[in-house]
Amino acid sequence: MDYVIEMLKIRKEFPGVVACDDITLQLAKGEIHALLGENGAGKSTLMSILFGLYQPDSGTIRVRGNDVRISNPNIANDLGIGMVHQHFKLVENFTVTENIILGSESTRGLLVDVRSAADKIRVLSRRYGLNVEPESKIADVSVGMQQRVEILKMLYRDAEILIFDEPTSVLTPQEVRELMKIMRSLVNEGKSIILITHKLKEIKEIANRCTVIRRGKPVGTVDVATTSQEKLAEMMVGRKVLMKVEKGPENPGETILRLDNLSVRSGRGVLGLKNFSLDVRCGEIVGVAGVDGNGQSELVEAIVGLKKAEEGRILLNGKDVKNMSVRNRIREGMALIPGDRHKYGLILDYSLEDNLVLKVYDSQPYSRNGFLKREAIHQQAEKVISEFDVRSGQGSAGAARSLSGGNQQKAIVGREIDLNPDLLVAVQPTRGLDVGAIEYIHRRIIEQRDRGKAVLLVSLELDEILTLSDRIAVINNGELVGIVQASETNENQVGLMMAGVQREAGV
Amino acid sequence: MFKKGLLFMLAFVLVASMAVGCTSRTNTGGNGDGKSEDSLKVGMVTDAGTIDDKSFNQGTWEGVVKAGNEFGLETRYLKPVGTTEAHYITEIGNLVDAGYKFIVCPGFKFETAIFQAQERYPDAKFVLIDGYPHAGDWAPVVAANTVSIFFAEHESGFLAGLATALELQEGEVGFIGGMEIPPVQKFNWGFQQGLLYASENFGTNVTVKAENVIYQGTFDNVAAGQQLAAQMYDKGVKAIFAAAGGVGVGSINEAKARAKDGDDVWIVGVDVDQYAEGIYEGNKSIILTSAMKQIDQAAYDMIKAEKEGVFPGGEILLFTAANDGIGIPKENPNLSADVMAKVAEAFNMIKNGTLVISDVQGDLIK
Amino acid sequence: MKPNTGKYVQQLRAIKVTINKEYVLAFVAVILGLLAGAALMLLTGNNPVSGYYYLFRGGLMNVERVGNTLATATPLIFTGLSVAFAFRTGLFNIGASGQMLIGGLFATAVGLTLDWPKPLLLPVMVFAALVGGGLWAALPGWLKARFNVHEVVATIMMNWIAYWTVFYTVPRYFKGPFLETESQRIPYNASLKLNSLTSLFGGSYINLGIFIALLFVLIAAVILERTTLGYELKAVGFNRHAAESAGISVNKNIILSMTIAGALAGLGGATFYVGYASNMQIGVLPSHGFDGIAVALLGANTPLGVLGASVFFGLLHTGKGFMNAMTRIPPEIADTVMATIIYFAATSIMVERVWTRWRAKRGGVR
Repeated sequence: MDYVIEMLKIRKEFPGVVACDDITLQLAKGEIHALLGENGAGKSTLMSILFGLYQPDSGTIRVRGNDVRISNPNIANDLGIGMVHQHFKLVENFTVTENIILGSESTRGLLVDVRSAADKIRVLSRRYGLNVEPESKIADVSVGMQQRVEILKMLYRDAEILIFDEPTSVLTPQEVRELMKIMRSLVNEGKSIILITHKLKEIKEIANRCTVIRRGKPVGTVDVATTSQEKLAEMMVGRKVLMKVEKGPENPGETILRLDNLSVRSGRGVLGLKNFSLDVRCGEIVGVAGVDGNGQSELVEAIVGLKKAEEGRILLNGKDVKNMSVRNRIREGMALIPGDRHKYGLILDYSLEDNLVLKVYDSQPYSRNGFLKREAIHQQAEKVISEFDVRSGQGSAGAARSLSGGNQQKAIVGREIDLNPDLLVAVQPTRGLDVGAIEYIHRRIIEQRDRGKAVLLVSLELDEILTLSDRIAVINNGELVGIVQASETNENQVGLMMAGVQREAGV
Repeated sequence: MFKKGLLFMLAFVLVASMAVGCTSRTNTGGNGDGKSEDSLKVGMVTDAGTIDDKSFNQGTWEGVVKAGNEFGLETRYLKPVGTTEAHYITEIGNLVDAGYKFIVCPGFKFETAIFQAQERYPDAKFVLIDGYPHAGDWAPVVAANTVSIFFAEHESGFLAGLATALELQEGEVGFIGGMEIPPVQKFNWGFQQGLLYASENFGTNVTVKAENVIYQGTFDNVAAGQQLAAQMYDKGVKAIFAAAGGVGVGSINEAKARAKDGDDVWIVGVDVDQYAEGIYEGNKSIILTSAMKQIDQAAYDMIKAEKEGVFPGGEILLFTAANDGIGIPKENPNLSADVMAKVAEAFNMIKNGTLVISDVQGDLIK
Repeated sequence: MKPNTGKYVQQLRAIKVTINKEYVLAFVAVILGLLAGAALMLLTGNNPVSGYYYLFRGGLMNVERVGNTLATATPLIFTGLSVAFAFRTGLFNIGASGQMLIGGLFATAVGLTLDWPKPLLLPVMVFAALVGGGLWAALPGWLKARFNVHEVVATIMMNWIAYWTVFYTVPRYFKGPFLETESQRIPYNASLKLNSLTSLFGGSYINLGIFIALLFVLIAAVILERTTLGYELKAVGFNRHAAESAGISVNKNIILSMTIAGALAGLGGATFYVGYASNMQIGVLPSHGFDGIAVALLGANTPLGVLGASVFFGLLHTGKGFMNAMTRIPPEIADTVMATIIYFAATSIMVERVWTRWRAKRGGVR
């Protein structure tokens, strides 16, 4: 085969960790090659080496058959390697064109030649079906469009090899489909693509071959067409993975949370949630399905007390908690797994230990008379760490920032479930996590239900809602469209309801 | 978090102790030098403001330098970080420890610092200009190693006022003071007496209104000086007596700007001959004349006396017209010969006692 | 118990790494600053060895100078603590100068009003300073919590309000018998100076303030590291959203943090105006508030680090006058050294990067 990139026996050690252990990756011209592995498996390190951010300790890199030394990203650029980062590197109040030419501006005299750059972008956009308007401001365009701008940035610099780092994690299903189309047209035009991901479905759909790595070690390279999803998952995790969590029948009891005609203003001052009523009983999981931005965040913030409800009542165990502080609601038995774990879930600069007592630090035995009791805090942290299998390189004293995303999420889930809450509000609890962690967290949430607690699950991933929920409340434009039994519905019906179509009577 | 601070501390203490270790061994070398009088080293500590303030500090320093050159002495000035007693005495201590055993301090703010220093450093000599040492209770304690020097600012102000009135003949004048302290007040009162004397004896009509007598409150607020001067000129004042250090510099700037535009405005300078400060075009200056105190002369005289072994320790000296300690400049390009002659006449009358200028407010403004 | 021990060792190692880094960075900043100063001394034709020799000797040569070094460091410790405390909780207190002024004013007011015996009066004065500074900073805290007014803007404004408050209050109510621009002298009863302490340190300006400072270094460290209050304050500082989600009141903690920071600066005011100095002067905004930022920066925002950095700066401040007296090196060199150290501390990220790269080349650290 004709390889455009060959990374042969790449080894990279960090103190105490072998991040890449003799990993080999060969990218053929015109193929989409998936790089699969759990979080922390070494995918990022490997790609950072290819992009010149790290130097390998041993091994060779060949580009189009020639040995190269990529000591910094500029060299990677010159070799035609481009990277579409997971977190976009765009200047919000610049236009698309300005962002794309940033760093390689062509000039006419002293002025930046924006006009001809825009023309070039327009041509590229048309050729690859990117549908990007060069004059729009980044702040005004959708996430999917921003990603296409990132792709254009690479194309503008004549990249032949494109690395996509978890490109779908920020996209809606439609945008994902759009992206797949773009990737195919890129390959058709002769580009080669490395796709970093842990989503098996996507690999099956688009990749030609797939290299799997696990904990820094190579597992193998397989042909995607002849390998099943289950097999890929097994290669990635190292054991058989249940693609669907086992779940017994629900056994609902008394109502724990009752929302009564709840209306909440959004940040822009208009009502983001309108006359929303919903009951969550103990022993059941109620899923809230909906397209992002249809009132989910207002709903959650009003329930946990981060936002004031305009009208209506919020009853927890029969008690109106509408005007209670966040802390008192926690004391009344509410717990939250927030959607954005970095922003709302963790204090990244605190140690893991301190994060694990974030909601109980002020009560005994973790503190007395205003003084923290380090020993008790440490013990509590160790308990949660072992119970919830949180892996931290530096133990409980390590900063939360140093943990992988999956372990951060496990820490939050552990902390919240350890509160033994009557009501657990879980928002996107598995966002950005790999298969192993998703399975684990799903199991924990179901366990919570089985212990007779109430769970309100808010997720943008329909799969997750359908898998976990007993009942599904569909939200559209801040209003409740309807509530359906999970066992009596399917993706299609909920999908339609999400789009605002009322459920037909009797279904 | 605790420990990294601690380590830093430790490192610091280590370095510090090394420094102490170094110094203690060589301590006898630089300090304990009871050298002979021949190697007299003269130091000065500046008051608020810089050494080149065209006024108090500069005047004193010029006297020190002149004596230094003449007698071949080592001279050095130090500028304190702040204006508290602690800051002053710290610098005095620095000079004494460095072997400067004759120290000149310009300004009343040194009073309590000198009070402590004269006791703590008995082998050093101190000259305090415009003040006398006291413990904070204004009871003068001038030790045998200290001389306190005062000037008859009222006489100097009188001569400047007389010259101003004679030169202008008629119109409004104003006064801008720094802090409301006796030396500045006496300048003001003397100036007003000079105006009155001129109108009584020479029929001039130069007057000052109460609203145009202002103490700004500091000696360093240049912007305020400019603003005050602008207000007065706008109200029709023709000349301003600015006895205000840096504030006066602001006033001079305002006057220069106006003179360039063709306005007929004047400033009467203070402490030293400020003519050069007021030059705005070619050789033309807006400084009408200056009410001078011979600060440089006083500093020079004291050093000279020390060299000759006649240092008047323990005394409070007064520099007046009688001993040529005050006056207006010898050269006054903006004054006519007639005016100069009349002022010289008045100067002699003060000198021989036939004319007495009051150093209290009386019926005068502020 | 084996895995447990392993974990413990791991933790220890983690802690050690952070110590080394912070310690090295501060140390490197100091060394680079000193080197830059040495280069300047060479450029101006002076010998840096003797320059630094006299600089350190000036701060350490005898007990009096050690005492002065500590006395100079005292207010810096407080303003440094104030800035560091606020900074640890995510706030930038640029108003330590104003809080210091008000603290000093409160202490002075109590000291000049009450005629109580020293052991009774001093605690009341110190407490008044604490309350004054605390209230002065509570207002910007409240403005931030209630209206989201940025604390940098609000505290700068408060600096000037404090400045003019003192400008008005001191002459109006606490004027000395003579001077418009200074308060009455603080009587011994109301001064933090202690005769026995002063004579122990050979007449130095050291006062009880240094002990109060040490006490508050400890208190600040304990609050930050050992209490639920510190836990909350830092949580809000690091991530107010997560703190809020955990039920911590962000607004309460912002006000509280500013109040504590202000109280610390207020105490610094007491140690300066009724300890180091003996009266309050109007028209001076103390520079300690800004030096406090530097001190906090160099001390890595830890109380003990602040203590070390303050004493080091106190040493440079105290020693530079002597260096100036003994050599021809201008005192500005010492200021430059300090400024350079601050510069390198501020750009420690850059230093850190170089350091990391160097380590990476040698051993490989991520």
